Amino acid sequence: MKRIILMLLLYCYTAGSFANVDHTPVDTLIADTAFAPANLDLRPFIYVLTADQQHLTPEQAAAMPFTRQENIFHNNPKNNGRVNNCWLRLTIKNQSNKSLSCHLFSGWHDYMYWYSQSPGDKPRQLMQTGLMLDDGGVERWAHYAFAVQVPAGGIRTFYLHVVNKSYNEGPLMPALFSTEAYSAFRDYQLNGFRKEAVVIQVLLGMLLVFFSISVINYIQLPDKSYIYFAVYILGLILFFALRLEDKPYQLSFFHRWPMLKYYWDIPGLLFCFYLMYLLFGNAFLNLTERYPFMERAFTWVAAIVGGLIILCLYFIRIGQYQMPTIIYSYVYFVTLVPLLAVFVALARRSRHHPLVRFFLYGSVCLYLACLGSFLMHVRPLGLLSALGELAAPTILLIGGVLLQAMFFLAGLSYRNKLVHLERTRTQELLIKQLNKNKELQRKLNEQLEELVKEQTTEILRKKQELEEQRKKQLETEYDKKLTEIELKAIRAQINPHFIFNCLNSIQLFVMQRDYEYAQKYLSDFSYLIRKTLDFSRRNFISLADEITYLNTYLGLEKMRFENRMEYEIVVDPVIATAELEIPAMLLQPYVENAVKHGMTNPQQPTGKLSIYFNQVASDMLECVIADNGIGIARSKSLRMLPKHHQSSGMEISQNRAELLNKMYNTEIHIEIIDRSSEDESSSGTIVKILIPQL
Amino acid sequence: MIKAIIIDDERNSRDIIALMLGKYCPEITIADMASDCADGIEKIKAHRPELVFLDLEMPDGTGFDVLAGTLPDIPFEAVFVTAFEKKFLHVIRFSDVELILKPIDKESLLQAVALITERINTGGSKDRYRVLLENFNNSKPVAWQLLIPAINGDQHTIKIPAIEYLEIKGDNCLFMLNSGELITAAQSFRYYADLFASLQFYQINNNQMIQLSNISRLDGPSGKVLLKSGTTLDISEKRQRDLLHKMTHPH
Repeated sequence: MKRIILMLLLYCYTAGSFANVDHTPVDTLIADTAFAPANLDLRPFIYVLTADQQHLTPEQAAAMPFTRQENIFHNNPKNNGRVNNCWLRLTIKNQSNKSLSCHLFSGWHDYMYWYSQSPGDKPRQLMQTGLMLDDGGVERWAHYAFAVQVPAGGIRTFYLHVVNKSYNEGPLMPALFSTEAYSAFRDYQLNGFRKEAVVIQVLLGMLLVFFSISVINYIQLPDKSYIYFAVYILGLILFFALRLEDKPYQLSFFHRWPMLKYYWDIPGLLFCFYLMYLLFGNAFLNLTERYPFMERAFTWVAAIVGGLIILCLYFIRIGQYQMPTIIYSYVYFVTLVPLLAVFVALARRSRHHPLVRFFLYGSVCLYLACLGSFLMHVRPLGLLSALGELAAPTILLIGGVLLQAMFFLAGLSYRNKLVHLERTRTQELLIKQLNKNKELQRKLNEQLEELVKEQTTEILRKKQELEEQRKKQLETEYDKKLTEIELKAIRAQINPHFIFNCLNSIQLFVMQRDYEYAQKYLSDFSYLIRKTLDFSRRNFISLADEITYLNTYLGLEKMRFENRMEYEIVVDPVIATAELEIPAMLLQPYVENAVKHGMTNPQQPTGKLSIYFNQVASDMLECVIADNGIGIARSKSLRMLPKHHQSSGMEISQNRAELLNKMYNTEIHIEIIDRSSEDESSSGTIVKILIPQL
Repeated sequence: MIKAIIIDDERNSRDIIALMLGKYCPEITIADMASDCADGIEKIKAHRPELVFLDLEMPDGTGFDVLAGTLPDIPFEAVFVTAFEKKFLHVIRFSDVELILKPIDKESLLQAVALITERINTGGSKDRYRVLLENFNNSKPVAWQLLIPAINGDQHTIKIPAIEYLEIKGDNCLFMLNSGELITAAQSFRYYADLFASLQFYQINNNQMIQLSNISRLDGPSGKVLLKSGTTLDISEKRQRDLLHKMTHPH
């Protein structure tokens, strides 16, 4: 707009000679043959009718008195402070011999109606256009150059009805152009506006990029501030896109709805620079947590601005175009200081929050841009008109908007980074916590394990104690049993049969008066009884003692059996018989059994009994008792006694061996072999007793 | 003259029996001697003696086997001679067969020979040997039979469960049977009391011994034992505990 103004000014200066030179009012413009106007100032030829609120038909207007009012014309945008509803009258007389064809141009206004009147005729409307009215394409801009055609020698009166409903009026300066001159003028205008349009289009492109970025970011990280920012950018896009509507001769997007640019002019600014700005700041700075007071203030102001926007829209709807501007001016000036206060408050905190810095820079950029833009307008336009141009997108303002958007976007990215960092930190914390938990768990496990170990040890100890107790108990039990068995053993091992038979034999020798024999028999017998009594009280005796005992016993048996038996005791010479110990009375039952069975073999007239003591290993004594009797198998089969009458000497010995094994945890092993089972030709029984040395 | 055979696996034993018989019992002639069962049976069959001195345990069998192998075809009286009687004491005593222990003492030998001589002369029953073998083959004392030589010379063979209780009667023993029958045995009460002590019998006082299975009730305060037959017998306080113990711990 500024450019337009500047250009107009330029034209004014270049064409000013007319205006300044000829100020005398002229009722009729006389066009002679050489008449070829180029930006001819028409002010001296124009009579004005100010209709104010009245709605006049062209006839009525033509009938009204037109006066000269130079003051309604102006070269710069101007705030009229009212609706400008005026009629301009221009009368042209063509004195040449060819028809006059020119163009009248008086700026761009809201509503424009062009009438032509032949003398004595009613005014006829030739054109109607206006920023609020014309919805044509780019060609609509040609409508603003009204055709002035006067036939040769004819007089025509032209009426231009201009209605500017918004108080802000563009330059109103009627000028006349010949067709060629207008074409040049138009080209010049087009070029000038093109530059502005390009700036806006570039801005739109950038804003679109920002918008895309914020939408994409929102999709990635659903954060409210992105939405506000996106809406803010969208609002700006719409605002600037609508600004293209004001650029003459330029392509525009929304020309079909010419009113749209009014609806989204002040409300759009309020929406973007206040409502969305506040909402964005609220969400972006997380004011709820950081500055609760500011957050409340922001919310309230945003709500008020929202209300104002609706109010503005309403005013536009009812045609009160000046109201939004007024409202905006008030809002602008009222918020100037509070905003500054907010900036200061934020600046003081910006050290702690980098986000605030972004917001602050962005805000201050726009703030200064707005202020600068306003101040720049004040000088050429005056305060009032400058107020009307507050919303005008100067290059400064555009720069400010861009800077703000970029700062905000950067802030959002930074915020993203912060969120990311926080997330990473949270994750790290979580991992740390997890690790800590793991560590704790491990420690707990260790403690538990230790506890379990301790308890296991305790249990094992108790178990051992119990086992020891049981062992002791068992031992006492064994002792008891052993005593019992030993008692039984005395009776069973030295067979009473043997004792009494011995006595019987002694009796016989006495009766036969064989006293020497009787004496020998008696002393052997006494020795045997004594030793038996002695051994039965002990668990272990030396091998030497055992051998002597067995020798005596076998000697007595031999005497009983009239030398029908022979015996031998063979001891491995490596054995230290006096030191080696064996369980007492363990062998005797087997020897007695061997004697008994050795005598029963009808094939063998003499029973042969052999006893061997061998050292089979360093700690193992082997005792072999072998006879040449009928063998244990046949002996058992021959046994005619009913089971309940059978003797139990060997059985007792076996039990005793088992008891000894249990008590001394040793492995006395007794094996009874029938010789016939190995060799059919031989007969007899072999008893092998393995006695481990303790 | 009484023809006799000696069966013993030990020569010394045979010799001393022969020696003593020759010295103290001239009325007995020794027809032969054997050293084991098989030989003994053969010689008994060959000589058909009236008296056999039998050893209990021999390499190829026992004295019972000899009896089983010859009786009842050859009727003879037997006297067991053994060094150690414990194992077969009940079997022998229950059937009232004579038993002499080694080393043999003169009195027992003379007493046994006198008793046998009388039996031979009176032609007494050989039933005791059947009872002997039957008892020998039976492991359960309850099924054993008891041959009681009565004071009047009769012989009574009863089953052990038939006895209700026994009682001292002078030098003899009186058997009260469950049937109500009374038998006065020739042997003393002490002889039977010793014999029954290890069985299910209990001597409730100095004079009486009861079979446990016949007890109906033990009346502590009054010191009485009530039998199933209704008979009431005295029992001393000390023996009541003993009896209770024996009844609750049968083995």
